[in-house]
Amino acid sequence: MIVRGLSLRQIVMPLVVLLCGTLVLYPIGFLINESLNVGDPSVFPPEEYGLDNYWNLIDDYHILANTALVACIATVLAVLFGFLQAWILTRTNIPGRQRLERLMELPYYMTPLIGALAWGVLLGPKTGLVNQVWRSLGLPGDLFNIYSPYGIAWVMALFEGTVAFVMISAAMKSMDPSLEESSRVLGAGKLRTALRITLPLVAPGVLSATIFVFAEMLGSFAAAFVLGIPGRFYVVTTAIWQATLSFPPDYGRAAAMGLSLFGVMLITLTLARLVLRHGSYATITGKAFRPREMDVGRMRWPLLGIAWGYIIVAVILPLAALLLTSFEKFATVILPQMKFTLANYETALQMGSVGPAFVNSLTLGISVATVGVPVIGVLAWIIYRSRMPGRGAAEYVIMFPQAVPRLVFGLGLLWAWINLPIPIYGTLWLLGLAYFTVFLPLGLRTIASVVLQVDPSLEECARVCGAPWIYQMRTVTLPLLRPGMVAAWLLIFIASVRELGVSIFLMGPNSKVIAPAIVNSWLSSSSELSAAMALIQTATVFAAVALMFSLARRVTGVTQ
Amino acid sequence: MRRRPFAALSAILVALLGAVAAVACDNPRQMDGFKTCADVAKAEQEGALVVYSTDPEAAAEAELAKFHAVFPKIRMNYLRIQAGGLYAKLLAERQGNVYLADIAQLSDVSFALDFQKRGGYMQYVSPEMAAHKTEYKSSPEGYWTWGALVVAAIAYNPTLVSADEAPRTWRDAMDPKWTDTISVKVSISGLQHVTWYVLRQLYGNDFWSKLAPLKPHAFDSYVQQFDRLVSGQDKVALTAQYSGYLAMKAKGAPVVFVYPPDGVVAAPQPWGIVKEAPHPEAARLFMDWFLSVPGQSGNVRELFTYSPRPDVPPPPGGASVTEFKLLIPNDWQAFERTHAQFVREWDKITGLR
Amino acid sequence: MTRPRIEVSDLVVRYGDATAVDGIGFDIAPGELVTLLGPSGCGKTTTLRAVAGLETPSSGSIRLNDETVYSAPERRNVPTEKRGVSMVFQSYAIWPHMTVFENVAYGLRVRKLPQAEVRQNVQRVLDLVQMQDFSERPASKLSGGQQQRVAVARAIAFSPNVLLFDEPLSNLDAKLRAEMRVELRELQRRLDITSLYVTHDQEEALAISDRVIVMNGGKIEQIGTPEEIYNRPRSRFVADFVGSANLIQGEVRGPSSSNDTLIFEAEGGMRLEVVASSASRDGQNTVALRPSYIHLGHAAGSRNAVAGRIHRRMFHGDFIQYVVDWPAGQLIVRRPPTELFDEGSEVTISFEPVHCVLL
Repeated sequence: MIVRGLSLRQIVMPLVVLLCGTLVLYPIGFLINESLNVGDPSVFPPEEYGLDNYWNLIDDYHILANTALVACIATVLAVLFGFLQAWILTRTNIPGRQRLERLMELPYYMTPLIGALAWGVLLGPKTGLVNQVWRSLGLPGDLFNIYSPYGIAWVMALFEGTVAFVMISAAMKSMDPSLEESSRVLGAGKLRTALRITLPLVAPGVLSATIFVFAEMLGSFAAAFVLGIPGRFYVVTTAIWQATLSFPPDYGRAAAMGLSLFGVMLITLTLARLVLRHGSYATITGKAFRPREMDVGRMRWPLLGIAWGYIIVAVILPLAALLLTSFEKFATVILPQMKFTLANYETALQMGSVGPAFVNSLTLGISVATVGVPVIGVLAWIIYRSRMPGRGAAEYVIMFPQAVPRLVFGLGLLWAWINLPIPIYGTLWLLGLAYFTVFLPLGLRTIASVVLQVDPSLEECARVCGAPWIYQMRTVTLPLLRPGMVAAWLLIFIASVRELGVSIFLMGPNSKVIAPAIVNSWLSSSSELSAAMALIQTATVFAAVALMFSLARRVTGVTQ
Repeated sequence: MRRRPFAALSAILVALLGAVAAVACDNPRQMDGFKTCADVAKAEQEGALVVYSTDPEAAAEAELAKFHAVFPKIRMNYLRIQAGGLYAKLLAERQGNVYLADIAQLSDVSFALDFQKRGGYMQYVSPEMAAHKTEYKSSPEGYWTWGALVVAAIAYNPTLVSADEAPRTWRDAMDPKWTDTISVKVSISGLQHVTWYVLRQLYGNDFWSKLAPLKPHAFDSYVQQFDRLVSGQDKVALTAQYSGYLAMKAKGAPVVFVYPPDGVVAAPQPWGIVKEAPHPEAARLFMDWFLSVPGQSGNVRELFTYSPRPDVPPPPGGASVTEFKLLIPNDWQAFERTHAQFVREWDKITGLR
Repeated sequence: MTRPRIEVSDLVVRYGDATAVDGIGFDIAPGELVTLLGPSGCGKTTTLRAVAGLETPSSGSIRLNDETVYSAPERRNVPTEKRGVSMVFQSYAIWPHMTVFENVAYGLRVRKLPQAEVRQNVQRVLDLVQMQDFSERPASKLSGGQQQRVAVARAIAFSPNVLLFDEPLSNLDAKLRAEMRVELRELQRRLDITSLYVTHDQEEALAISDRVIVMNGGKIEQIGTPEEIYNRPRSRFVADFVGSANLIQGEVRGPSSSNDTLIFEAEGGMRLEVVASSASRDGQNTVALRPSYIHLGHAAGSRNAVAGRIHRRMFHGDFIQYVVDWPAGQLIVRRPPTELFDEGSEVTISFEPVHCVLL
């Protein structure tokens, strides 16, 4: 007689979902609460409730317009870069494609923060290195002023271009080559095939990438912070930042702005997912497609130039500019005035915020990734493989943090956790919890794609063989998910180490981390010191990532 | 019948206690160069000190390192936050009953007064406070004290601006020829608030309206201002800190400081101990050291600011403070009341709103 | 009489508005191999998975080995891992991250058998499927046919007494399929395991089954031995789906002079002697005639003989297929390759009444 009680599975699954759901919704609840606060902002809970903060947003329309402007330009540029690179690297036969694909990951390890600092050096009006060269050639004015919305969009696009690249090249790679081949057999030339066959087939992938990138641009902070504020150009995220720094801090306005942005991003992201679901292009059928490359003949060299050009412009040029600055005594790009020194590195390495910050960031990266990945693995299985009721809603909630700008979420997290009797504020535990919460979508997305590729009959067979749930998970499911889990670990590790928006609010004297330290240094130290700190950070991240990659290769036995 | 003498006795006791509270302890201990009322052994046992301030990190940490050199058992922990953010963080932490900071430097006296009203400061009368003028301390004494005097006026880059066209007075700085090439500080800067206040008093309430069409760039830190001045992105810096000028001059950068005949602005840096500090004895010890001659001299050398103490030399390369005509607000309460108005106006001038 | 190993009664499986299985029932005796045969979407796989516990029915009951594993009225649903059945999946479901040995040993290890016994059993079943040399090979390096054998070995390793097959041969090429079906049947007979087999390939079903259950649209069309299904189809669907059939329209005119047949008047006026597969009922107007049962040329003594003309001839290697014109339209006829007729020539078409089944 079978006892109809609760199996372990029925307890664990809802518990995990409930826990993660709470972590996500609790800070958002606080944000909503604070956005309705029209009384004294320093009193908690709010004394008065009202919708004034939202009505007042109408006065800030120019900030909203700025945000939209920058996001649009940046999205167009990023998708253009991504599409071009994806097409060149997956569909043509230029030499060294594989190496270039690997190099395309580099901008992701640098942060837009560092990129913005570097581009300030390169294209600052009048005295940027590039502008100086421009003038010395006798050409009038500046080639470009980076302290402008276009400058912000340019820097954002350079970094987000890699994300667009990954999404679009995935779509291009999963296209059945026989679709193009049949077009060629029927007599259509390369260009016509590209325009009439290839383009429409990858269109859903490109569209989804565009919408996703747009959502990210709306919530981006670092570039607008470095390049916008000096030019008196504010977007929603930097306006929120300013609002929280003024005194009395205008938390209500900040929260209202943040939630509005959240609303827009949520709609945009939902749209992206709908497009992806409806786009009927055969992706994961189990057949591995080898896309047929197009022979581009003499165009090979210009295309190679473009492909390398992106890497140079996105990675090498900024790093070089920072390197130059970090060795200067005082940051000037007026060449005859340069004086060089090693003092900046000495100072940077001695600074109290550098050493502990690095240790903290690396520790957090490793811990959050190591704890997060198994939990997200179980979550992914619950959402995509089980029949637990409410799993659709769970997926939606877990993906929320993607739509909340990090800065805004950080604010919510601050209030949410500072008011709990648990003494977690000001410690690394809070940062760890916060990172885990905001990286849930990233991890889920990565692992989900692997989960969906696993044939369900592999798990069913284990059950038929008599394996109870945990045994099945342990011996069949988790080992099969391993490549995806390793990938998720790496992504979460890198994201933790470069995190800015959440950390900048939750950081305390005993829990300093790298990116806010660089921001602080940029705000209050000379740019040459910030350059030195930024380079030390980049070098450390590169080294850590390289180490993790080689370890990961050994674990999965796969060359990536 | 018996109550009256008792009442009288209590009244005398209270008066005495009140008087005692306003005076440093009976037997201040003489350390090397300064006196302290703190329990040194207990401070060393506490083992750490957390300082929240707006000073540039590298310089501030160099100053704190000097304290650490005298008391190696006390580990220093410095957190640099922009002025408004610092106060907001402090208040948020208080509201959540979390106390992480021992010492707070709040940049704007308005904040210090506000914090004092909220009962955020610990009252501790350091024996070193006797050397500070009454105007340079909180009233009653012991809540906050001026730890530095920040002098500011105008600076320009001589490679971009010739001596003839350079501004010589405050009004010169409002010339339209500086459009888009002039920098100021943001509205959360205490220094900027003081500058705004005193120049309004001097030149009238509509003085600053002439600045708005120049589209000034606003920065959180004087380091950024001078960075841009030296690198040529700006020509003129308004509300330019003398300390920034001195620091740049020491590095050999091209920068000239202007001493307007009507006077230079002087703003205080209020330093105080947070009431529920996690390391109270160490905090008291630090205050004594910081406000003393060795502490203040160190501060002056690292940060290029002036000390409110007359027995401390000026910063390296700087003129003696007596050579300046200082413009300081005389009524701090009135000053505090203008804060909200200042923020509104300044945000409009700098394009935030 | 021994109790049936598998008993399914009144099984209904619904997905939202769609009904995949609409009230079916059958029993399978110990040692029988019964096949669920039907086109895609007929509900055969759903039924199999319901027996395995991988699908939850909406109503009905399922008993395995004399124990109720699913019953709607009793609100009982035993989870898959406790039912003690075994299954071979269409995709084989070989775990790529394990070796062949580990794959096959899985069910034994779950049952916590001692290592020596595990090894012994794995060896035994690998021998049975002739994969004994592959024990240490990583499973990801097997061909389709090899994977299939390992899947079978894994399924029988822990000696289940019920074995479920979900179209195990459909991913193999034709020749391999033909070979493997013989091997599977041999294995099943030798081990005497009660088996429920699902396929859409009617040739396969006829070849290996003890009984066949033909399903369509969630319902059972007919249950019977392969011969019964082939020779006495009960409906148009069965006649058409199992093997090929010529369907002749017409009307029943009554019993014939010899009482075992009926007179059927086809379109075009021909009178044929036919048999009924079950009790005759009103409205029957179609006769099924299998192509291989039709003779061309002179066949003495046939009770049905009609003149016709060869319209088309196609050589299929093992047989020749003719399209023959006759008064009621066209007939498909299959003849051994020795019987060669030219296109356009006149022939006599003859067939026995027992092969003309009234539907």
